[in-house]
Amino acid sequence: MDWSILTGFDFAVIWRYLPALLTGLWTNVLLTGLGFVAGGVVLGTVLAIANFSPYRIVRWPVVVFVEFWRSTPLLVQAIWMHFAFPVMSGLQTTPFQSALLALVFNVAAYCSEIIRAGILGVPRGQFEAARALGLSRPVTWYKVVLPQAVKIIVPPLIGTVISIFKATAILSVLAINDLLRASSRLSSYTFKPLEIYTTAALLAFVCGLLLTIAGHRLERYFRRSEGG
Amino acid sequence: MDFRLGVVLSNYPPLLEGVLLTLWAAAVALTIGVALGALGCAVRLSGRPLLDRVVRGYVLFFRTTPEMVLIFWGYFCVPYLFQLKVSGFWTGSIVLGLVAAAYFTEIFRAGVQAVPRGQIEGTLALGLRRYPRWRFVILPQALRLMVPPLVNYFTELLKNTTLLSSIGVAELALQAYLLGGQTYRYVEFLSAIALVYFAIIFPLSMASRRLERRAGSH
Repeated sequence: MDWSILTGFDFAVIWRYLPALLTGLWTNVLLTGLGFVAGGVVLGTVLAIANFSPYRIVRWPVVVFVEFWRSTPLLVQAIWMHFAFPVMSGLQTTPFQSALLALVFNVAAYCSEIIRAGILGVPRGQFEAARALGLSRPVTWYKVVLPQAVKIIVPPLIGTVISIFKATAILSVLAINDLLRASSRLSSYTFKPLEIYTTAALLAFVCGLLLTIAGHRLERYFRRSEGG
Repeated sequence: MDFRLGVVLSNYPPLLEGVLLTLWAAAVALTIGVALGALGCAVRLSGRPLLDRVVRGYVLFFRTTPEMVLIFWGYFCVPYLFQLKVSGFWTGSIVLGLVAAAYFTEIFRAGVQAVPRGQIEGTLALGLRRYPRWRFVILPQALRLMVPPLVNYFTELLKNTTLLSSIGVAELALQAYLLGGQTYRYVEFLSAIALVYFAIIFPLSMASRRLERRAGSH
């Protein structure tokens, strides 16, 4: 090992380009948030509920969609979204839009399974009671089933946030201005790969750690409010 | 739009090479992960506070930092730091192996600790030595619990081999992307490899789910 590299570690470069790296990291955080809310919470719930539809024509496409998006790599999904999907649909998307779309579908497929398991955890008698009371299907879902399922769903759903954050780094294969894109640009501009990539790795680790800690806090908060 | 499957079939040699490289990378990472994961688990169970803390730090770091960032760091910084020439394939596979080790440490530990305490007390009451205790009592019960999450993580590992494409390893995803660019047939090539990944990963995740149900029914 060449120690002179370590003693020559250029902190000035890090300091100068830290804002650019943080801007990149912000893109990752933004994608994590958008992916979690749009994919995990909204689309995930829709897919999970569709899974319980009495109509096979609704259920089967949803099952195929979920299994397919769960069993293929996000990187392939992202480049498929950016290079193949526009050819098929005629819609031109920016790299950020393609990346976000791939992420949202990927996260939705994962989270729909978590939400489905939560709904299965609600006793069957609750569905039957709602039916006996003559509640309509939307009211049954909105007022009876989902409020009870939420308690089961929230802890594992929060646990997916860190996986989503890690997944956003993969989206740098498309030309979005995230942490890794910013790093590789800066490293070829400054010829200081060691400083830039080490800083990037530490920033990603700290950011992931903060997300994990925030998740644990939130989880505990939910558990306490459930008990009280 | 027209969909030409023929263009994929006539370009099968590089795609097949890509599949083999993908499987090879996954195998290397799995081997490293299992070996280091077993070591990490042994350390965590040995009850040495200092070493335990080191392993816990390792697990935390490698489970929190995005794999993509680690692969880039390995690819650009290791040659620089250690004056070594390591190919993209080996850098990527080793990094994925180190990440897998963090997950496997926890999977192994959870499996061993899920063996009922009474079983271990039983072996002590019977006066079994360490080897038969592990070989005939603890491991057979622990392995049954470990296999479903192990298979499940292996599917994640297969998906993560695609990250090697970003440092120029010509595995399946990169081959398809390059062929798509040469022929302007992105739809065909990218859809075809998505199906290949699905064909490999889906049966594994089904098997994992089935094993999990069976392990849970005991």
